[in-house]
Amino acid sequence: MVKFLKPNKAVIVLQGRFAGRKAVIVRSFDEGTRDRPYGHCLVAGIGKYPKKVIRKDSAKKTAKKSRVKAFIKLVNYSHIMPTRYTLDVDLKDVVTLDALQSRDKKVTAAKETKARFEERFKTGKNRWFFSKLRYDSNVIRLSLIKSWVKQEKSEERVQTVGGLQ
Amino acid sequence: MVAVKKSKKTHESINNRLALVMKSGKYTLGYKTVLHSLRNSKGKLILLSNNCPPLRKSEIEYYAMLAKVGVHHFNGNNVDLGTACGKYFRVSCLSIIDPGDSDIIKTLPGDH
Repeated sequence: MVKFLKPNKAVIVLQGRFAGRKAVIVRSFDEGTRDRPYGHCLVAGIGKYPKKVIRKDSAKKTAKKSRVKAFIKLVNYSHIMPTRYTLDVDLKDVVTLDALQSRDKKVTAAKETKARFEERFKTGKNRWFFSKLRYDSNVIRLSLIKSWVKQEKSEERVQTVGGLQ
Repeated sequence: MVAVKKSKKTHESINNRLALVMKSGKYTLGYKTVLHSLRNSKGKLILLSNNCPPLRKSEIEYYAMLAKVGVHHFNGNNVDLGTACGKYFRVSCLSIIDPGDSDIIKTLPGDH
C-alpha cells in the first residue's frame, strides 16, 4: 500500500528502443494527462553504459571509456519494471516536460543529464545503476535482491521483452 | 522453514472470507489489474493460485514487496481460486482493494 513509483526510483525499461536499460524516474504522472490517459512517468536513463576500465588504461582511455549516453523519455508504467534501488541525482530542473517539446531542447537536456550521470559514475557510487543488465537474447534476466523476511535472497527473474534482439 | 500443511478448517475459512469479499468488497481479478492495483497502491492483499507461473509469481511478489502489501499463496490452482471467487472461469491472481465486511486482510498475512 506504499506508493513506490516515485521520483528517484531506479527502474528498468522493458519495451521500446531502450528496452533493458536502467533509468531513474524524474517525474511521475499517476493519473495521466489529456494526451496520455494512463499512468506514466518521465524517466532519464542510460542509453550507452560506461565501459569497463582496467588498470593499464591511460588517462585518455579511461576518460573515453567512462562516457555515458543518456536518454529522456515518457514511459507508460506498464513498460517499466521498478526495482528496489534508488538514484538521487538532481535532475528535476533539467529533465522537464518542456524539454521534450523540441529536438534541440531534448538534446541539450540529454547532454546535461549525461554530464550529471558521468559525474555520479566517477564517484563510484550507485554501481548497480551504471552496470549493464545481463540478459539473454529475447529475454531480460533480472537479478533483484530482495530483503525478504530479514534475509537477503537472490532471485533471478526472467521477463519477455518485445522487439529486442 | 517447513511449510505448514494447511488444515481443511483454515482453508474453508479462507474460502468463506473470500466469498464475503466478493459480496461486499472491491477486488480485481487477473494479472494486469493486479499490477495496476499495486502500482497505484490500491491493493491491500494479493492472492495467487498455486499453479501461477513462477516468473509471474515472483514478479507479483516483488511488486508487493515494494508496495508493502501481503501476498497469500492460495492452496489450490486457478480453477479452485476461480470457484472460490464464485466465478465460472479460472483466476490465477487477484487483488483485494476493499475488503468490505470481511476480516481477510487482518487474518491472512501471517504467511507472506
